[in-house]
Amino acid sequence: MAGDEDQVGDTRGAVDDVLVVDGLSRRFGELRAVDEVSFRIAPGETYGLLGPNGAGKTTTISMVAGLIRADAGTVRVAGQRMSPSHPQPKRHIGLVPQDLAIYPELSARENLVFFGRLQGMGGADLKGRVQEVLELIGLADRAKDKSKNFSGGMKRRLNIGIGLLHEPHLLILDEPTVGVDPQSRNSILESVERLSTAGMAVLYTTHYMEEAERLCDRIGIIDTGRIQAEGTRDELIRLTGGVDQIRLAGTGDLTHAIESLRELPAVEQVDHDGLALRLTVHGAPTAVAEIVTRATGAGMSLADVEITRPDLESVFLQLTGKALRD
Amino acid sequence: MRPVAAVAWAELLRFLRDRSNIFFVFVFPMLLVFVLGSTFGGAGTQGGVRVVGESGALRDALVAQLESQDLSVRMADEDEALEQVSRGRAAAGLILPDGVEEAYARGDRIELEIVPTSGAAGLAMRQQVATAVETLQLDRAALGALTQRGIEAPAAEAALDAARGRVTPSRVTVRDVDDVAQAFSGVGQFEVGATSQLLLFVFLTSLAGSSTLIQARREGVIARSFSAPVRSGQVLLGQTTGRFAIAMFQGLYIMIATTLIFDVDWGDPLLAVLILACFGAVAAGAAMLLGSLVDNEAAASGIGVGLGLVLAGLGGGMAPLEIFSDTLRTVAHITPHAWAYDAFADIQRRGGGMIDILPQLGVLLAMAAVVLAAGTWSLRRSVERSL
Ligand SMILES: Nc1ncnc2c1ncn2[C@@H]1O[C@H](COP(=O)(O)OP(=O)(O)OP(=O)(O)O)[C@@H](O)[C@H]1O
Ligand SMILES: [Mg+2]
Repeated sequence: MAGDEDQVGDTRGAVDDVLVVDGLSRRFGELRAVDEVSFRIAPGETYGLLGPNGAGKTTTISMVAGLIRADAGTVRVAGQRMSPSHPQPKRHIGLVPQDLAIYPELSARENLVFFGRLQGMGGADLKGRVQEVLELIGLADRAKDKSKNFSGGMKRRLNIGIGLLHEPHLLILDEPTVGVDPQSRNSILESVERLSTAGMAVLYTTHYMEEAERLCDRIGIIDTGRIQAEGTRDELIRLTGGVDQIRLAGTGDLTHAIESLRELPAVEQVDHDGLALRLTVHGAPTAVAEIVTRATGAGMSLADVEITRPDLESVFLQLTGKALRD
Repeated sequence: MRPVAAVAWAELLRFLRDRSNIFFVFVFPMLLVFVLGSTFGGAGTQGGVRVVGESGALRDALVAQLESQDLSVRMADEDEALEQVSRGRAAAGLILPDGVEEAYARGDRIELEIVPTSGAAGLAMRQQVATAVETLQLDRAALGALTQRGIEAPAAEAALDAARGRVTPSRVTVRDVDDVAQAFSGVGQFEVGATSQLLLFVFLTSLAGSSTLIQARREGVIARSFSAPVRSGQVLLGQTTGRFAIAMFQGLYIMIATTLIFDVDWGDPLLAVLILACFGAVAAGAAMLLGSLVDNEAAASGIGVGLGLVLAGLGGGMAPLEIFSDTLRTVAHITPHAWAYDAFADIQRRGGGMIDILPQLGVLLAMAAVVLAAGTWSLRRSVERSL
């Protein structure tokens, strides 16, 4: 994994990476809310912190964004050291907090202008950028409406728009889809994908593994304040020895089919449970065509084919002994 | 400076957006100034007395006495007098019952009825009428004493007149009660009400407005502002400036609107705004303190309104300080309202200038420094806790 690499990898990262988090810790009384957390995010990369309630995601983010002080460890954003007492590096970050942090009595535009001014923007520059963001988040036609009259999804979009306003190097989204209808959720995910494609680095926390799988180039699995494992989706699954399964239901010469299938390199194991064949496979999506051809060629007539791939949920279960969602 | 202005402006805008504020900030104060002006207004020399009764020596003497105190006196029948008093068009009615003239001529004990309007003006008038009657009696007693000594009546009166020119014994005893009336001499109908309402509403509106601060804390907007490249001091200063802007807005609105609508004379406008600014700073600090100590908006509004009313009541924001007893008046000066009231009274009615109101401004600024420091400290603490 990246963290285990030697000093060479480290110097490369220090220059290029948008975010370098190293040994970050924070206690609340006796509770170690965040415990020696380290990770890096490269430009254009989307990094996910996946963990259940109370895992320490928001606390980590609050330290990354310089809202609260770390007990130990460092955060560097675009090469600059971040801390609550040093406002300047904060301009590289766009924070979208978990709770809607917008003024309900102000319109969408007024909210954007307010936070833009806090970023030090002003004049025609700010005006133009506010309009751009309003269009980006699909609120241009509702720009003058008070945000308290918005739907949940619209408020979430405005919340994100505020984080994007000053074109930060790193966008931090803390569970941006919580309490949002499926349609708005999809549109939020799509805009994150678009931003990432456009080259923005994203730090994304969630306890939905589907979102982490869909959006994130790399994922850190966090629980009880510690990063339990880190890597791409496939790396994480391999790490825990997870393999794909294919279930072939049908009739015919099953014994012959089993022999024939065992010859395939992708197939590790074949079992017969009376009704169907159960195959343990490497890379099920690519191997499935060959498997189906072999089985029918061996005289089996197929009624159903089902692929089961291990997901991050099962990885999480294996790493922590508990389910991702309560 | 931009972040400070942004926070302050957002707070003022949120205050103006609150629909329930339209009534309480804009309409209600004007309504109260009008009602107070019509009821208590025209205190002292301006409201006038309606005298009811047949003409005679007593009536003429009383009218002469009242007029010598600069009161406008008009004759009326009883119903008319009562109606005018109850409507606040006259400060008091003086009723001479039937047969009182004869009793006066005989030198018997007589009884008069005074019907004052409620409030300060009525109280003032009651004292002035009492003074007039007292003076009349003293004169009569003196005249009686002289004529008993065998001095001819005309000579006795001449001697009395001459003596009155040198000493006015009755004045010595009534000087105290006359204070109230004197305090309001030269004051227009709406002036006192307008000042009281200014003090009441600037503080009340500021305190009640602290609920938006609680909302901003709870909704995480304040916490979020710290993710921008700003110093926490800038955000806190912005909040303070916003609270101050709300207080000034309310105060300036009342000053301008009462000047335009009720022709209220606020004295030297620069000094008036200066007093308002010092008082508004105290109000802003108190709002910060309330908005950071209390976490529940409804509770803050409740406490704000309650505290706002109590402080105003105690400090001359409801009834003029001049009608307070000496003890109560001393107690009243624990409120910023009383100090601001005194300062306004100085520039509005006593022709005071900058020098005269310096002590009051000093006290207000000291109060402001204390509550602003406490409010900022407590807001910083509550924000840091919520991060
Ligand atoms: N200000 C605080 N004071 C005390 N404890 C805190 C504070 N903030 C967080 N914690 C505790 O630290 C732990 C981590 O909280 P955190 O909010 O970072 O979790 P999270 O991963 O963001 O959870 P969620 O998915 O519910 O948002 C929790 O046990 C929480 O109760
Ligand atoms: Mg969280």
